[in-house]
Amino acid sequence: MAWISEDRRQALVRDGKPLLTDDMKKTLEEKYFPRYPTKRAVLLPALHLVQHEYNWIPPQAIEEIAQFLEIAPAEALDTASFYEEYWLKPKGKYLLQVCRSLTCEICGSEKLREHLQSRLNIDVGETTPDKRFTLVELECLGACGSAPVMLVNEVLYENIASTDQLDQILDRLPDDPHDFKDPNITWEQDGSHSG
Amino acid sequence: MWEWIVWGGMGFSKAVTERASKARTGYIKEVMALTEPVLTKRIPLDPDQRKLIRYDEYVATGGYQALKKALEMSPDEIIKTVTDSGLRGRGGAGFSAGQKWSFIPKEKKGPHYLCVNADESEPGTFKDRYVMNHDPHMLLEGIAITSLATQCDVAYIFIRGEYHYSAKVLEFAIREAYEHGIFGPNGILGSGKKLECYVHRGAGAYICGEETGLLEALEGKRGWPRNKPPFPAIAGAFARPTVINNVETLMNVPHIIERGPAWFKSMGTPSSPGPKLFGMSGHVNKPGVYEDELGITLDYAINTLAGGMKGGAYKACICGGISMGVLGTNQLDIRLDFDDVRFRGGCLGLGTAGMIVMNEHTDMVKALRNCVRFYSHESCGQCTPCREGSHWMRKILDRIVAGEGKASDLNMLMELEKTMGIMPGTTICGLADGTSWATRTFISKFYDEFARVCPEEPQRRVSLKVASGRMNVLTPMGSNTR
Repeated sequence: MAWISEDRRQALVRDGKPLLTDDMKKTLEEKYFPRYPTKRAVLLPALHLVQHEYNWIPPQAIEEIAQFLEIAPAEALDTASFYEEYWLKPKGKYLLQVCRSLTCEICGSEKLREHLQSRLNIDVGETTPDKRFTLVELECLGACGSAPVMLVNEVLYENIASTDQLDQILDRLPDDPHDFKDPNITWEQDGSHSG
Repeated sequence: MWEWIVWGGMGFSKAVTERASKARTGYIKEVMALTEPVLTKRIPLDPDQRKLIRYDEYVATGGYQALKKALEMSPDEIIKTVTDSGLRGRGGAGFSAGQKWSFIPKEKKGPHYLCVNADESEPGTFKDRYVMNHDPHMLLEGIAITSLATQCDVAYIFIRGEYHYSAKVLEFAIREAYEHGIFGPNGILGSGKKLECYVHRGAGAYICGEETGLLEALEGKRGWPRNKPPFPAIAGAFARPTVINNVETLMNVPHIIERGPAWFKSMGTPSSPGPKLFGMSGHVNKPGVYEDELGITLDYAINTLAGGMKGGAYKACICGGISMGVLGTNQLDIRLDFDDVRFRGGCLGLGTAGMIVMNEHTDMVKALRNCVRFYSHESCGQCTPCREGSHWMRKILDRIVAGEGKASDLNMLMELEKTMGIMPGTTICGLADGTSWATRTFISKFYDEFARVCPEEPQRRVSLKVASGRMNVLTPMGSNTR
C-alpha cells in the first residue's frame, strides 16, 4: 500500500456500453464464484480481470463491479484504491517497474532508473506522450538474488548489468503489448493438459 | 529490549557469549553442512539445467508418497509427528508449526480454511519464489497433508501480485493435480476427503504478508491487519477456523511425514531443527538461494555458500529481511538459527533468512534510509505510531542523507524507534517493529557513521527582543528558541 497523493478526482465518464461485459461476468460466475463463500471475495480477481482487459480500472467499471458483487461502490473503490497494482488512471502500454529496495539499490538500480528517465524523458510516475511507457519505482520484487531487476508488464528481467542491456530490452518490445509473452513459459504449450 | 542490542552487538566477550549460547541451545555441532538437499532436491545447482518439475517427474522421483502415508494416519497423528519434529515456521516468526495446527478446533462445525502465505515481499527474501517456480508440486503435497491434519476443505495460495510467473506455474501445477486426483470432487487420491485448491492473487501490498492482513485481502477488503484475539485458528478467513503457513514451512511437511521426526531433528540445532533456504544477495560473488542446515555460521554462508565477498571486505549483513535488523562487522561467527541471531546477534530473529550482504564501501546511512522508506511506503495507515512514525523517520533520514543532519535528528530517530510497534504495545501488527529494529540495530552498530553525518550543532549568536531592549544569547541551532 502506498500513500499515493495523486489526483483522484477522475471525472466519472459513463459510457453507453458496459465495461464489465457479459463474457467477463460469465468468467467471474463460473470460475471465481464457486471458489469463495462470499461475493465480496471475488473483488480482487474482478479488478484484476478488468485491469487486464482495459490496462486500467475506469471508475465506471468499479461501479459495475460493485453492482455485480452486490456491494457498495465505495467499498469497491476502497479496496481498489488501497492496492498499488490497481491503476485508477490510465497508464502506458508498457509499465516499467524498477525495484528500488535495498539489494537492488546497492547493486545499482539508481543508475537504471536515471537511464530510463533520461531515455524516455519522463519522471518516475509519468507516462511518455505517445502512451507507450509508464515508469514507476517499486518496493522489493522478490528477486534479490538477481539484482537489479525490472518488471515490464508481467515479465521479470533479472541481472540487468548495464544500461545497454536495458536499451536492448526496451528496443525488443513488440508494438502490441498483447504479443508480449514471458519467454520462460515453455511448459504450457505442449498441450498435455486440458486447459 | 535496548539492553539486548548492547549485549549482542558489542558488550560481552566471546567466551561468555559462547557459553551462554551453549547453555541455551545445548550441544551444537562444530561444522554444519547438509548431507543431501531436501527442499531443493529436484532443482539442479546449475541455473541452465533448472526447469519446471511437472507432475510425472515429481511422482517418478518419489513425489506424493508422503501423502499416501498421511492418508493412513489420523489428523492427530500427523499433528503429533510435525510437532515432534520441532518444525518452526519459516515465514519469519519461527512459531512451532505443529502447535499452530493444534489450535484448530477438533470438532468440525463448518468449513476450515488453509491459507498459504506466498506474499513474499520482505526486501532480501526470495526463497519462496525460487522453490515455487521450480518444484510447485512439493508445495501442493504439503498443502494436501496439512489439510488432512487440520481438516481443511479449501486451500488458498495467496500469492503476491508481482509474481506473475509463479502464479501461472502454480495454476498449471494445480490443474495437473486436479487431473491426477490430488484435489477435486473425489477427495484426496479418491479417499473421499475433499479438498479444493485455488490461487488468490494479491495486488501489491506488503502488509498482506501479515496473516490477518492476508485474510482481509482474501475477503476482498483492504489489507488492514485485524486486532487479535480472535486468532485466525478460531475465526480467520470468512470467520472460520483458518491455518496460515508459509510456503517453505509447508514444503517441509511431506519430508517429515515420509522420513520421520528423528531424521528431521538430525539436521540443524536442537532448538531450530531442519533444513533452511538461505537467500543470499547483495555484495557476494554467487548470489542465490542455498539450502543448508539451520545453525550454519554467517561466515560459512557468505564465504562457502555464496562464494565470498564482492568488491570489498565484509561490513554488515541483514540477516532475515530488513525487519530483523542488521548484523555488524564483528558478528561473522553468529549461528544462523532462530535463537542465536536473536540473543547473541542483537537482531529481532532469523526471520526469513533472506540475507543482504554489504561490503565496506556501503553507506549505512543510505542503507537505513532505504529500509525506512520501504516501511513508510508500505505502512497501511491503520495505526498512528506506524503511519506517522515511519513517515517522520523517513523525512529525518532524507535530511541526513542530503547532508543536513544534526545530532538532534539522531536523538529524534532513536526516540521514535523506541515508541512504535507491538513490543511497546502501540500498534496492531508488527510492521512498526520492523521499522524500529532496522533503525535500532543500524544506529547502535554503526553509531560512528551516523554521528559523523549528524554533527553537534554549532552555537550561534541570536538576538532576542526582550522588554528591556535587545539581548544577545547563545543558543544551539535547531532548539525551540529559534
